Amino acid sequence: MFKALSGAFLDELLSIKKSFYKLSLITILPLLCFGLIIGIFYGGVLRNIPVIAVDNDKSKFSEKLLFNIQSSPTIDIKYRLNSLKKASDILKQGSAYGIIVVPKNFMRDTLMQKQPKVTVMLNTQYILIGKMLTSAFMGSVMQSAAEVEYVKNLTTLQNPHATLNSVAPIKLQVTPFFNTYQNYFLFLVSAILPAIWQIFIVVATIVSFGLLFKSGKEYEFFSGGFIEMKIIGKLLPYTFAYLLIGILFLYYIYGVLGWAFQGSFTLVFFAMFLSVVAYQGVALLFFVTGFDYARSLSLGAVYTAPAFAFLGVTFPIYNMNGFALLWRDLLPISHYMEIQISQANYGLDGFLEMDKLLLIVCFWLVFIPVFYMFKRRVVR
Amino acid sequence: MNFFEVFKNESKLIFTDIAIVLTIIGGVILYSFLYPQPYAKEAVNKLPVSVVDLDKSDLSRDIIFKLNATPQMSVYRVDNSEDDAKSALLKGDVKAIIIIPNDFKKDLALHKSPTIAIGADSSYFLIFGGVLEGAMKSILTTAASIKVANLLKNQMPMSKAKEAYTPYSLNVINLFNEQNSYTQYVVPAVFVLILQQTMLIGLGILGGGINERQKRGEHGYFNTAPIWMMILSRVIIFGGIFFIHMLFYFGFSFDMFGITHLASIGNLLTFGIPFLLASAFLGIFIGSLFVGREIATPAILFSSLPLVFSAGFVWPSEAIPGYIKSIAILFPSTSAIQGFLKLNQMGAEFDLVLSEYKTLWIEVFCYALLAYFKFLKSRDCYLPQTR
Repeated sequence: MFKALSGAFLDELLSIKKSFYKLSLITILPLLCFGLIIGIFYGGVLRNIPVIAVDNDKSKFSEKLLFNIQSSPTIDIKYRLNSLKKASDILKQGSAYGIIVVPKNFMRDTLMQKQPKVTVMLNTQYILIGKMLTSAFMGSVMQSAAEVEYVKNLTTLQNPHATLNSVAPIKLQVTPFFNTYQNYFLFLVSAILPAIWQIFIVVATIVSFGLLFKSGKEYEFFSGGFIEMKIIGKLLPYTFAYLLIGILFLYYIYGVLGWAFQGSFTLVFFAMFLSVVAYQGVALLFFVTGFDYARSLSLGAVYTAPAFAFLGVTFPIYNMNGFALLWRDLLPISHYMEIQISQANYGLDGFLEMDKLLLIVCFWLVFIPVFYMFKRRVVR
Repeated sequence: MNFFEVFKNESKLIFTDIAIVLTIIGGVILYSFLYPQPYAKEAVNKLPVSVVDLDKSDLSRDIIFKLNATPQMSVYRVDNSEDDAKSALLKGDVKAIIIIPNDFKKDLALHKSPTIAIGADSSYFLIFGGVLEGAMKSILTTAASIKVANLLKNQMPMSKAKEAYTPYSLNVINLFNEQNSYTQYVVPAVFVLILQQTMLIGLGILGGGINERQKRGEHGYFNTAPIWMMILSRVIIFGGIFFIHMLFYFGFSFDMFGITHLASIGNLLTFGIPFLLASAFLGIFIGSLFVGREIATPAILFSSLPLVFSAGFVWPSEAIPGYIKSIAILFPSTSAIQGFLKLNQMGAEFDLVLSEYKTLWIEVFCYALLAYFKFLKSRDCYLPQTR
């Protein structure tokens, strides 16, 4: 029995050594994809988003306001125009993401306490940029308004402390928990890499078995019984390889780049191991639907490609509908991701992760129909 | 061999291949329902928060009431201590904590500017942004009404006080996607990518399959048919199918998920045609490179996530390094996503997408030439006797 397992294991290792394709699936290809994603988000923080200023007042006050806006690290006033039409074309062209319009008589109305309105138009088609600009504009315009108010009140109140209070009766203190740097790199990359990882696990599993069946050597391979052991032996090299790749990207994010990790790495590695096997099982389930190499790859594609959207990292699961939640539950990676996030950020007690670990183990049950179908197919 | 025969042979090869049909028809339709699902309930709202009320005054209760009334959050629990709130946060019951300090009302009356603390889970970006936006707006409104009340106390008339509480105000207008809908943000762009990727996979399976048979020494129409006829047949078949898909996506699916479509049908199709042609020629070209019919699906699948994130809508292209942008621009989807978003989501006139439009046509010609020469070359290597 053990011989069947180790035999299949060594066979597969040998074939990986011989096949550049198989080898690249567990080496350069995933690393290349990871590298591209890391490259895209390497900057991590959005700075100097280009915007357009339309200053209809051209006064000392409007200059000061625009100066304050320009000094926000998020915003860069790249264009100064006189026509709103031209500004809106630039916005639609995608060369800028927002327009700030200072109204006519801005300075006069401010001094006369008529509360003029500064208008900001944002391209919120791109939500992420839109949100960043909204808060940056709110911050710098409110700051400018407070400065003007402070100077004005100081002349009447003659007391800096009372003046401060008259400008802001309630102070706000904002604390981001966990990802304290508000960095997109950590936020997106730590979730995109696992989403790519699961695609590779499914593909490599199908490739390994698909090539065997395509070459017509499946009867030879499975002759002599111990079919379960041979399947496991054939899967094992990939189990190790992808566990290693998983550990590698975690090490890169939390070790090399040094982002804070509160919990237990062992627990996350264990969850990774459970997930790799779960995905291998699901991949084989696709394969046994017809033992057709190309078709099972298509099924694997439908299953793994959209996974990132369902992780709940970009779009919160609180606002997902029933179907989305169901589909999400059917992806081992979403349970894995919860563990990774809660271990990295909250350092949750291992015992509290049990339910998620169990959910991943549930996917192992697919091996029952998988083994059964293999036996039916390869025992003559 | 005449064109009609070649076309018949190509069609037969395509429509009898389950893997191809599953991808270019089943897959395309399935994806159109599956991808928008996570966002189907639209904007991020009513996130559970905990308010730690250490003041327990009528004023703090009023603040809690107003916080609960914001669309962004619902006050899931009111705690008496920070520790209770913190454990609720760690359990995942709430996503943010807002703390109203001791003696809040008293300090306010004494003009001591008490501080309200907001802490939110920033491991989920939209959650953090949503909570922050709701809480800030709600508390700043309260602060503004306190300022108005103070001005009234100083004998300022109400009409004046309403304007004088701040020197000027900010009016934020969301152009395009006014509701900050996540569907509007992600789906129109991802749909373009799905069209391209499924087309590439379909053509890749076809091309790889033919290469495999040629390598085995099989004889078929693909060894003798004029190359331009084979390429043209594929362009007509795939172009035609995906033209219908495009209408289905931009028409039916957009309507179903309530996505804006501002572009005129004429503009949309004018822009769509080079996109479909470029994708078809690219598919024919890479198909001719694949050595087996099973290479296409993984290869295209692996490229999907990098392509989504380098297309410039999730993460702005200004922030993407140049070497990645220059790889991404080789795929028709990158220019097509930009162009379609501008035309259809932002209502841009056609002359504002001319640069994307030109890029797509350049890609059409380049990939058509590449495909042609690759076909020519593989014929040389498999069938030297025909020369």
